[in-house]
Amino acid sequence: MRDVSLAVTPGGLLAVVGPNGAGKTTLLRLLTGSLSPQEGEVRLEDRLLDELGDRERAQALAVVPQSESSPFPVTVREMVAMGRYAHLGPWERTGAHDRTMVERALQRCAVAGLADRQIGELSGGERQRARIARALAQEAPILLLDEPTAGLDLRYRMELFHLLRELRAEGLGVLVITHDLNLAARFADRLLLLDRGRATARGAPAEVLSREVLEAVYEWPLRLIAHPGPGRDTGAPQTIPLRRDDP
Amino acid sequence: MTHTPRRLALLAVVVLAAVAFSVSFGASGLGPGDLWRALSGDGDPTARAILLQLRLPRAALAALVGGALGLSGCTFQALLRNPLAEPYVLGVSGGAAVGAVAVVVTGLGVMLPWTLPLGAFIGAVAAMALVLGVARRASPGRMDTRVLILSGVIIGAFFNAMILLMLSVAYVESFRSAIFWMMGNLSGADWGSTTLLAALLVPAGAAVLSLARAFNLLSRGEEVAHYLGASVQRVKLTAYLAASLMVAAAVAAAGVIGFVGLIVPHAVRLAWGNDHRMLLPASFLAGTAFLLVADTVARLVVAPAELPTGVVTAVAGVPFFVALLIRGGRR
Repeated sequence: MRDVSLAVTPGGLLAVVGPNGAGKTTLLRLLTGSLSPQEGEVRLEDRLLDELGDRERAQALAVVPQSESSPFPVTVREMVAMGRYAHLGPWERTGAHDRTMVERALQRCAVAGLADRQIGELSGGERQRARIARALAQEAPILLLDEPTAGLDLRYRMELFHLLRELRAEGLGVLVITHDLNLAARFADRLLLLDRGRATARGAPAEVLSREVLEAVYEWPLRLIAHPGPGRDTGAPQTIPLRRDDP
Repeated sequence: MTHTPRRLALLAVVVLAAVAFSVSFGASGLGPGDLWRALSGDGDPTARAILLQLRLPRAALAALVGGALGLSGCTFQALLRNPLAEPYVLGVSGGAAVGAVAVVVTGLGVMLPWTLPLGAFIGAVAAMALVLGVARRASPGRMDTRVLILSGVIIGAFFNAMILLMLSVAYVESFRSAIFWMMGNLSGADWGSTTLLAALLVPAGAAVLSLARAFNLLSRGEEVAHYLGASVQRVKLTAYLAASLMVAAAVAAAGVIGFVGLIVPHAVRLAWGNDHRMLLPASFLAGTAFLLVADTVARLVVAPAELPTGVVTAVAGVPFFVALLIRGGRR
């Protein structure tokens, strides 16, 4: 990765897009302290990420990773309660505030009715919402999501981006890594287009998404059309890939 | 979580019942009535001696060894994210036994009794490192369950050979000792070994219990645990050392007793779920009760002779293990 700079700000929704192997996962690992940058720096407010302890970092930064599994089934509520880890000492009992935050997160993500079900019994979309609820229970001002729509159907994908939009409106800084250029163009405030470890373009969706840049980055012919409406997304640039040999 | 205190209290009652059961039966044929009179002071001195010098220390040792094995089994399962992980299956108990036997045959154990658990600890940690190293190389990237268990079993077999080798070179009367270390036996129980075991168990158990929430996170994967704020490497190192210490202390006191760490946490998981804040203490208590009963059975079935306790736990544990393996393979 080189020449990448980005800022996640409160009340903003930033989408990181780019082809496979562009460095999206590496970027996530740098932002979450799993990797340390060789050059450059990652800051939270005015402190270097490397200087923070694991708990401090988790109180500032919540992450929904791409996938996870466990040989030991837990209920939705148990999993969401894991989000309180960074706020609790090893011998500290779960308090009233912790329980309130867990219930609020369950409701916020519309999984309160599923709280006593096992994670494995949920549909893909419900499971994804439960994992976002766990991140919200962390009470962190910044939320990072790694391809949260992977494997979800049309309705769940739309619901998920609606939820991210609402969280942004409530003041969270949201960064979402996604392959879905069309939803990113409609829901994100800003886009960052990565290609081979570099930031190729950055800015408002309409500025970043141009046919020339996208064809070069994805190495595939495509066209952009304006979202036909109705509604708020009318005019948003939507990407249509062409067949290989069509003119 | 709200059920936890009630569940642990229930298990504590079961443990007390198991202690009473264990103390009430034995080769001398003293029944509960004789023992009660001995306890209250107006029984005959022989009954009193049998109770205080034989049955009570043996029950205490069985309780602590069972608890240590249940708790360490649960810990290994959380660390390796593998429901089949267990100190015996992983070869950790075997490594501890090699360390303990080495201390015994060199004569160190007689001069300095505390070197016995130390030798067992070094053996347990070495076994852990060896088994994990082999499993990592054999299935790079992800640790395959079957590879892990295969390397544990093979290294465990190697340790058994080492024990036989050391004992056959060192002792004339090596056969009985070999049985003791390889199959597990609580007949050597006295208050000294029980106290030493308790002294090691308290700090190691407390260290593991303090990590209960972190284990919940780790069972979702190390990446997730990191994101949620766990110091993953520190948690893993602490837990491996503490669990190895518990296994080492148990093996130094009672030889290798297998499958307790497999059966006990599993039964608790099936009944009450996978929250480690409940699961860890419940595995300790259930392990305690389980080994008390298993040891009493070992003393009774061929009385006045007795079986090695490890035989009883293996007879119960092997079919259990096979059933879990088949179910895991189907899933």
